[in-house]
Amino acid sequence: MKRNNFIAVLAAAFVTMMFAIYAAFIFAPEEQTMGIVQRIFYFHIALAWVPYLAFLIVCIASILYLTKRETKWDQLAAGSAEIGVVFDTLVLITGPFWARVAWGYYWTWEPRLTTSLIVWLLYIAYILLRRSVGEHDKRARFAAVFGIVAFVSVPINFMAIRWWRTIHPLILKSTGMELSANMRVAMFASIIAFTVLYILFLQLRVAVENSNEELEKLKDEIGS
Amino acid sequence: MDYLKKVFAIVEKDIISELRTKELFTSMLVFVLLTLVIFNFAFGQDTQADMVDLASGILWVAFLFASILGLNRSFVHEKDEGCMDGLMLCPVDRSAIYIAKVIGNLIFISIVELITVPIFVLFFIKDAAGINFLFFALIIFLSNLGISAIGTLLSAISINTRARDLMMPILFFPVIVPVLISAVKSSSVILVASNPITDVYAWLQVLVVYDMIFLLISYLTFEYILEE
Repeated sequence: MKRNNFIAVLAAAFVTMMFAIYAAFIFAPEEQTMGIVQRIFYFHIALAWVPYLAFLIVCIASILYLTKRETKWDQLAAGSAEIGVVFDTLVLITGPFWARVAWGYYWTWEPRLTTSLIVWLLYIAYILLRRSVGEHDKRARFAAVFGIVAFVSVPINFMAIRWWRTIHPLILKSTGMELSANMRVAMFASIIAFTVLYILFLQLRVAVENSNEELEKLKDEIGS
Repeated sequence: MDYLKKVFAIVEKDIISELRTKELFTSMLVFVLLTLVIFNFAFGQDTQADMVDLASGILWVAFLFASILGLNRSFVHEKDEGCMDGLMLCPVDRSAIYIAKVIGNLIFISIVELITVPIFVLFFIKDAAGINFLFFALIIFLSNLGISAIGTLLSAISINTRARDLMMPILFFPVIVPVLISAVKSSSVILVASNPITDVYAWLQVLVVYDMIFLLISYLTFEYILEE
């Protein structure tokens, strides 16, 4: 990883995150019925977007690994999956806080929540699979195949609130958005901030994988 | 033509070895029956009309658990007895091995279910007259196809991991959920004779789409699993 590149992304993450926090807590108007609790929505939707991106990258990197057999694609898939799971975990935590106020309960088995949980479990399984294979090449191949299979369920999750009638709010519609202008600014600021944060984490994670690999090579050379 | 002959040679091998031991078949069947009985205890014996929703869920969970047993076995033997190496040395395409295994699993699971369904209806459905069993069979077949298509791929993966068969449910359950949902929903429609048959069509479409996606992905990626 190039050092300058990393510092640039770090700075971008810091600036966008500060602005997102400002936009969500101060700039955006207070929602009339729900009050301050509604503000978690800006982070919730941004956190929910990142796993879609992360798992798409897992899928693309997996296909590239199987066709090109370059280790960097495997590292990218591994890193992206782990970060996606972390963000998805936060989605599953922030959602219930909002739901408790909006719906009166933390959890309900409606399509969007159910499919979110399934996607989360899928990528937990992906990580477990990686842990469960010792040989480097085999692990990369198996993970790549499962990374492609798992992604089949991600579009279902995205479409869940569109196909089935549910109580989960639908923000991004083809006809436009049900948000005031300032709220929209806060939402997009948050989405951009968390996307930059994802890129930052991904760089770090791939760098760690690289170091790990180097370490393995050195160990082999010593012959231990 | 030649390809199909190779596929059926492998299917034949699996059937013959199963006919000699009958190990897989009997354990799957007993397992399904036990699951039905245990669920009956868990949910109580009041077989009211609204039991149908519950019953189709019970049926599919039992089928899913049983198919996991079958899917795991389909590669455990090959691996333990060194037959996998033999298969891979054969001058056949890797995809032929996959197709053969899917057909084999499909046959085993279907036979077990064919015996289970009448018993299930006897246990859980009070008013069986007028149920469209042809459509019910179609639902079961399409679901089985999805289960075998992706299950064969995932069992080939899990058998090669350190955790072996333990890995299989972890990989398989979250992936099969869309098929399971469609199977349960469409079964609970079909098991009430008065429901209009058109209510099933949407779920059948989901099943067909997933069958095709699972078959295609597995067909294309299977060779990467067996690479040694």
